[in-house]
Amino acid sequence: MQLKRVVITGIGVVTPLGNSIGPFIEGLETGRSAVRFMEEWTKYIGMRSHVAAPAELKDEKKIPRQSRRSMGRMSIFAVQAAEQALTDSGITPAGLSSGRTGCVIGSTMGSSRSINDVFEMMLPDRDLTQLPSTMFFQCMSHTASANVAQYLGLTGYIAATAAACASGLQAIGAGYDLIRLGRQDIILCGGAEELHPTVTGSFDVLFATSAKYNQTPQKTPRPFDKDRDGLVCGEGSGILALEEYEHAVKRNAKIYAEITGYSTCGSGSHMSQSDKKSMTNCMNEALRNAETTPEKIDYINAHATGTPHGDTEEAGAIKEIFGDVSPVSSLKGYIGHTLGASGAIELIASLIMMGKNIIYPTLNLDEVSPDCEGLNHITKPVNKEINTILKNCFAFGGINASLVCRKI
Amino acid sequence: MTEQEIIDKTNKVFEESFEIEKDKLLPGAHIFTDLGLDSLDIVDLVVALQKSFGVKIRNEEKVRNIRTLQDIYDFISAIKNEEGATK
Repeated sequence: MQLKRVVITGIGVVTPLGNSIGPFIEGLETGRSAVRFMEEWTKYIGMRSHVAAPAELKDEKKIPRQSRRSMGRMSIFAVQAAEQALTDSGITPAGLSSGRTGCVIGSTMGSSRSINDVFEMMLPDRDLTQLPSTMFFQCMSHTASANVAQYLGLTGYIAATAAACASGLQAIGAGYDLIRLGRQDIILCGGAEELHPTVTGSFDVLFATSAKYNQTPQKTPRPFDKDRDGLVCGEGSGILALEEYEHAVKRNAKIYAEITGYSTCGSGSHMSQSDKKSMTNCMNEALRNAETTPEKIDYINAHATGTPHGDTEEAGAIKEIFGDVSPVSSLKGYIGHTLGASGAIELIASLIMMGKNIIYPTLNLDEVSPDCEGLNHITKPVNKEINTILKNCFAFGGINASLVCRKI
Repeated sequence: MTEQEIIDKTNKVFEESFEIEKDKLLPGAHIFTDLGLDSLDIVDLVVALQKSFGVKIRNEEKVRNIRTLQDIYDFISAIKNEEGATK
């Protein structure tokens, strides 16, 4: 069977730096950090980390109430990002209900705030009578995907990836496979996530969060830096319109890039951490799938969250395959770790970098940690022709994902 | 509880829970066709009315006969009167 080619024809974001592509990229260009002190989190007993990168919930009332009532914060972000991606792609509403357009959108779990609200309402008196009818639709793990599909009237393949911080990139990988195999013409895919103390707390109990910079939030997270002390959670959504190549050409669509390779795999060794060996396997398999070689990769957008262990393992894996040649940067210093949305939001930033032939540096990387040395770390903006990029994501569950895109 | 208090409290539920403008809240307004509520909203309407009036109506058969705002005013009024009579 002849596999189809898959291209990206639309992008949309809600991020801690702004609720559309323009302010997001401007934030990266000007080296702005969206991380701030979270006063409201200081009341939680045992929470060490009081920093986060919130996005702004705005214009949500533009979504009609009967659509909005089943949406938690992250589904609103996803719907807004999906609308941007659709507008950007020029795909007409008529095509959305053809059965050939679907969506795959992942997140770590359902809306964490809604889940918390349900328990706050129900548990004090074990009383279900106050629960709104639509609450479950906000809590379910496929809430972002289901809400986007309902809102846009999509009747094709609808699914949600659930692989924590790899969810967004896995969704794009799933969309790539669906189109490659000829099952769908268009897939809106990506990830969504929302901030909540339960989310940061889940990392905090594992000592994976940044806790030393509560008074100087702009200095954390610090991917690959010798003074890094953990991740900082962010929120938002990134959605991409993936399209079969001939379908896109026929309607004269703008094409950001072609997805040429993808791989996802497990470490099989540790529930909360991945390792160098399986990360190396994942990147190598994505390169093989893309029928390309390490020296052809002009930019690597690292997962690099700023945790002591994760960054060491990823730096080791990148060094083994790419040495100190391919430029590497992480965007976590600007927007924190947007978890299930990170793969999509950061891939979108990488596509913009590719289009502009510029690499945005790793923010807060002042002195490379000895265990992260030997890579081509980018610490200042670099102008460079970028034709092929690699994007990494690594998640709880020991799940890895890597994606290769090429300019056409 | 006076008739006007029942009307005001009920209308407040429609404004706050269902984002319906005040001027549409006429006694004869049909809650499905005029105010745009659907089956999921009815579940939330019952929850909101229970909370607002401190009554238990979820299992009341008569809820099914409600069509207009006036039906709700009458329904709540009847329950409140019953409450008053049994006190």
